[in-house]
Amino acid sequence: MIMAKELAIRPQKCIGCSTCALTCSLVHRGVFDPGQSNIRIYRDDFAGIFELRFSSTCTRCGQCARVCPSGALQLLEIPGDDAPAAEGQVSAQ
Amino acid sequence: MTKSYGYAGKILDIDLTTGKIGTVVHDDNYRRRYLSGAGFNARVLYDEIPVGADPLGPENILAFNVGVLVGTNIPTASRSEVSAKSPATGLFGTANSGNFWGSELKFAGYDGIIIRGRASRPVTIFIHNDAVKIISAAHLWGKDAWNTIVTLRRELGDPEIQVAAIGPAGENLVRFASIENGPYDAWARTGLGAVMGSKNLKAIAVRGTGSIAVARIKEFRETVTATRRAIYSSPFYGPFERFGTMLVTLPYQEFGILPGRNFQTGVIDGWVETRSRKLVPRYSNRGVACIACPIACAHWVVVKEGPYSGLKMKDMEVTPVIGFGAGCDIDNLPAIAKITEICQRLGLDMVSAAAAVAMAMELYQKGELSESDLGYPLPWGDENATFRLLEDIAHRRGAGDALAEGTPRAAARMTGSDKKAIHVKGLECFLMDPRGRWSTWTLGYITNIRGGDHLRTRNPVENLRYNENSVPYRTEKFAFPEAMYRNLDMPEQLKQEIFDPETKDTDIPKMSKWSEDLISLYNATGMCIRPPVLHTVGPTLIAGLYSSLTGIDITPEETIQAGERAWNLQKLFNIKHGEKPEDSDYPARFYEEPVGAGPAAGRKLDRVKVKETLAEYYRARGWDPQTGHPTREKLAELGLDDQNSNFSQ
Ligand code: SF4
Ligand code: SF4
Ligand code: SF4
Repeated sequence: MIMAKELAIRPQKCIGCSTCALTCSLVHRGVFDPGQSNIRIYRDDFAGIFELRFSSTCTRCGQCARVCPSGALQLLEIPGDDAPAAEGQVSAQ
Repeated sequence: MTKSYGYAGKILDIDLTTGKIGTVVHDDNYRRRYLSGAGFNARVLYDEIPVGADPLGPENILAFNVGVLVGTNIPTASRSEVSAKSPATGLFGTANSGNFWGSELKFAGYDGIIIRGRASRPVTIFIHNDAVKIISAAHLWGKDAWNTIVTLRRELGDPEIQVAAIGPAGENLVRFASIENGPYDAWARTGLGAVMGSKNLKAIAVRGTGSIAVARIKEFRETVTATRRAIYSSPFYGPFERFGTMLVTLPYQEFGILPGRNFQTGVIDGWVETRSRKLVPRYSNRGVACIACPIACAHWVVVKEGPYSGLKMKDMEVTPVIGFGAGCDIDNLPAIAKITEICQRLGLDMVSAAAAVAMAMELYQKGELSESDLGYPLPWGDENATFRLLEDIAHRRGAGDALAEGTPRAAARMTGSDKKAIHVKGLECFLMDPRGRWSTWTLGYITNIRGGDHLRTRNPVENLRYNENSVPYRTEKFAFPEAMYRNLDMPEQLKQEIFDPETKDTDIPKMSKWSEDLISLYNATGMCIRPPVLHTVGPTLIAGLYSSLTGIDITPEETIQAGERAWNLQKLFNIKHGEKPEDSDYPARFYEEPVGAGPAAGRKLDRVKVKETLAEYYRARGWDPQTGHPTREKLAELGLDDQNSNFSQ
């Protein structure tokens, strides 16, 4: 599918929150279950590494990218309506 | 069993004396009243721990309960609450932590675990979905928490196992031992690690591969989107994502409210250059989040140079930086990161550990603790001596044995009085100095159910810009744009009572009640208290999330009232277990000795004013203004005047 190109992945930005996996399982399976998600985040606590793995069943629907807070997953041409507010609007106190 | 939405559906009930493993299921009415987390724990502990129970004896109950919203994609819903009668205070002990342990327990099919009795030898509880086993921990006893986690994952054959574990401090019944939640998080305060150690329970390892069902998916997804938008709309979202809790390190120095050298000075030389948030980018360029959290307040830290080169960990939280950096005057962030690692491995609450080391350093400075008592000198700022002392505390060696009892008992043993211990009700309060800056936050030190602590109240529109207030002790200024308090998820009527838009004053006693109830609600649902949440998520959003997730309809009024109910029940626990009205007071130093240096130099607290403010707070709570006991009317309003609340005023 053409959509495949539109999901940009930058694993080095990942904060390991698994929001993508939780959201994917709700959207596609109707429950929260990271094991049934089409994306899994494997965490290595001691190395501080988060590895993103998509399964072959991923439809590239982009729902995970819409909720990804870090920019690790981004839907390039559709501006996410959930995009975080710009940083530093108010002085950091 | 009927299908459960939001809740996993059952709670494990494990008696370590007999090895019996059962489950408890609550009905919707109970769930609506107590929600989960701190609410469930308060009910169980109040009903079932007998008066006079030794916190370190088999009669104590250690209750883990995961927030009902956890296991979903609700932003920051990651937290679980652990409670027991506290060995530090003898009162309601409780602590909250995020990470991935709570969600894993729910995916295994359980909302919580009630642990009773005492195992005859060291054990681990291993939960893998329906299989719940009590297995030997003989070979883990003595290991630090990090090694325990690594060993369990390897032996049980699954790197995704989440582990709650104690270190040597918990095993040795240190009264401020923590329960570590994975390597870097902890249920830290009130000594729950010692309770776990007293039960011979080394760890709870969990792996869950089940699912959490949603009652009304469309409505739920819309409410989650609204919650996400609300959190992103906080002007603190960006700064918090960047600096985490290190944000406050600059204003504390500016106001002179650091707990410098065990609260002898409010400022620290070289603070901004050596220990403030300005240094965060030098050690970290990336956040690390709890499950479902977009804020990622913690940092992945890598130290690349100097004596701690090679250190890698999730770190740079403000607590150890203030506690060890200001309290003990340790002058560099890498050393503080090393101390953090040591505390995590040993399983020590870093707030109380910093307070213990700081007090020992003051005793050393004043000649009340000697090199021969310790085996080494203990001057201010000596990081290597700090490493040794922390080990001595966890292993109860030498002077560490007395300090392991917590600062009030240690001070009494070493000096004949607890005057140098900075604590309320036996729990060390070791953050900002109320003498230098009075606020809703610092009133919370003495109103907090769990003792001297800063994490159960916080004015959602507090600011760190002004330090002069219209009516001393009674009001504080807000400095945010008006839109921020207009957007607060708080009943309009209450806003009018609390805020004066003309003078920009906030009523401290009334705000204390509101914010305690709000945080109590977070702790009863699994939301995080970090400011972007505190500013934007209140009873309306939480009621919407709870109702659509669980299918149990609740109004915003009932939701905040559930937070209030949990708080009152914890207060009843305290009264039942011997808390006296005079216990709700600051340490002597705050009244008797002025701040030593900095912009707040010379300031101390006024006993009469504190008493008056506390009475106002009790009135705002519907409690007796003299005794601080909940009135019969308040208990009736909360539905707590039932047969189990065998409490008399
Ligand atoms: S693109 Fe869609 S199907 Fe693929 S992982 Fe993301 S949410 Fe799941
Ligand atoms: S939502 Fe984004 S930041 Fe969070 S785990 Fe997934 S890819 Fe990483
Ligand atoms: S804000 Fe920090 S502590 Fe709170 S849930 Fe997010 S990462 Fe965890």
